[in-house]
Amino acid sequence: MTFTLALRNVFRHKTRSIITLSTVAFGCVALIFVGGFFEDTFYKMREGYIRSYAGHLQVFKQGFLEKGAAKPFDYLIDNPGEIITLIQGIEAVQYVTRRIEFAGLISTGENSTSCIGQGIEPKNERSVRQSDVEKQFQSRGDLSLLVGNVIETGDPLKEDEGFAVLLGRGLASSLGAQVGDGLILVSHTIGGSINAVDVSLKGTFYTSTKDFDDHFLRLPLAGAQKLLHTDSVQSLVILLKKTEDTARVKAELRHLFQEKGLALELRDWEEINDFYTKTRALFGRFFLILKLVVAIIAILGIFNTMNMAVLERTAEIGTLMALGTKQKGVAALFLMEGGILGALGGGIGIIAGIGITRLIASIGIPMPPPPGATMRWVSEPMIVPWTILFAFALSMAASLLSSFYPAYKASRLEIAQALRYAG
Amino acid sequence: MGALLMSIIRVEGATKEYYLGKTVVPALRGVDLQVEKGEFLAIAGPSGSGKTTLLNLIGCIEKPSAGKVSIDGVDTAHLTSDELADLRATKIGFIFQNFNLLPVLTALENVEYPLSIRKIPAREKRRKARQLLEAVGLSRFLHHKPLELSGGQRQRVAIARAMVADPAMILADEPTANLDHTTGQEILNLMKQMNAERKTTFLFSTHDPKVMAIAQRVVPLSDGIVADPQR
Repeated sequence: MTFTLALRNVFRHKTRSIITLSTVAFGCVALIFVGGFFEDTFYKMREGYIRSYAGHLQVFKQGFLEKGAAKPFDYLIDNPGEIITLIQGIEAVQYVTRRIEFAGLISTGENSTSCIGQGIEPKNERSVRQSDVEKQFQSRGDLSLLVGNVIETGDPLKEDEGFAVLLGRGLASSLGAQVGDGLILVSHTIGGSINAVDVSLKGTFYTSTKDFDDHFLRLPLAGAQKLLHTDSVQSLVILLKKTEDTARVKAELRHLFQEKGLALELRDWEEINDFYTKTRALFGRFFLILKLVVAIIAILGIFNTMNMAVLERTAEIGTLMALGTKQKGVAALFLMEGGILGALGGGIGIIAGIGITRLIASIGIPMPPPPGATMRWVSEPMIVPWTILFAFALSMAASLLSSFYPAYKASRLEIAQALRYAG
Repeated sequence: MGALLMSIIRVEGATKEYYLGKTVVPALRGVDLQVEKGEFLAIAGPSGSGKTTLLNLIGCIEKPSAGKVSIDGVDTAHLTSDELADLRATKIGFIFQNFNLLPVLTALENVEYPLSIRKIPAREKRRKARQLLEAVGLSRFLHHKPLELSGGQRQRVAIARAMVADPAMILADEPTANLDHTTGQEILNLMKQMNAERKTTFLFSTHDPKVMAIAQRVVPLSDGIVADPQR
């Protein structure tokens, strides 16, 4: 009977209840949508970074992370083949690729600029053409198309083209180089002498990171090794099938390296890219503020409704108590009414939130490049289960919290006074 | 002594004072009253004489400032709020001047409510509520909400609600004050009939001489004291 009474009381003043329910529901929609938007942003930022450059894990020779910045060529991996076989034995690994990086000078003959060269294995490094990106914006197909290295002009590298290079678009622009131009690439060899090679500009690329595009050039690993006079590599970059497996595979590899007595060290994508971690923490704060705002709005909305209800129903509360309802029974009735408002508001909010988020995701929100990046992207807010649960829990908690005082006040009314209130 | 034990209500030297700011307003100034089981008794007096206050003390919804109120042999002075609620739920039925039905519940649900408090099973609850509503002549209005009923019909629902838990007594504060004469008379006749058939004690307040005429006994109240010292 208490539930029936509570439920009917909730709908006694339809307009007021609808406004209160809308307030709670709107809060839930905001949480679900913004939570989904942030999650999609994090996901794309993370995957973009992992797939365009960092991989999930990078393997270096022991000591590289501490001292490699000053003397990179002292920490080269001499026998990558054996290690690659070991890594590829792990089911979760999609591929392993070798890289070597060096500081150098690139010149057109007229203009010269410093650069960071990266010797890569083209077959393993993802690259897509600009036209595919345009198609992707039109059709909004596979996300992964967006996050690889995009060949803006010219063609991707091939394995057997030792001295062809791709320049980051910022680097190409500052150099004033065009596709097909002959360039000179100069660097120190691992022995310390200077070496220069003629290279041809095969194309320009861009990634999700502007800083990378302003300084990096890429050439096939064989070419880089010839320039540097070495057969070794500097790092092995591991791409996994699923990002969620990173920690597990990292632990597994660490164990394997130890077992085999290999003096290697590992860095995961989060360690390499603290920009992501910091951005996530920053957005987390924004989201926390939003949660607080939603909670306060819901609490005030329900508190107002419940407080009005106690005031208007004073005589009725007196009647209930005169008939033998205990104080806790009256309090339970009002808490239940608040709970019903929270549950209904939360429920409606979840349904509307999922619907609206899905609708907006299906349309997509065109977004400008994030700070420090070059690539525009389309936000497709995700449905995040924990955000849905949180939104519902928040509306329930807010409703119970805001009903607590009115319920207490109702239960403490003097019966005779309350009955007189009817006039 | 035997007669004393039969009293369902005993009020001894009850006083009640209210505070209006710093001013003390005496509502009852030492009332003694005994009501026997099955009585049909009117507390009569003009407005402000303390009728409602006396009914509130007997109904355990207020405590006296001094003096003693016993219901069915139980001294109410030291009962907790929950114990008083239990006492009201089991021993006392209320009929109010403004009917005080719960507007969101139907007539049937309103009558069932006191049984819900006592956790009576649903089927039994429904059976008793129907029976009472039939007894007060409202079998055609079981599923009407209070706003869909006339004043007289609402007061009949209130009587059924007061009777449904088989209380030892029913307290009615000016039960006919908001009804026209004919309807008021019907309500009084119904109360009298319930009193005769079920031997339920009825105690009601009124200032209307016509209503007093129907009472078995009239306790006149004036300025917070019983005007007839024999009462």
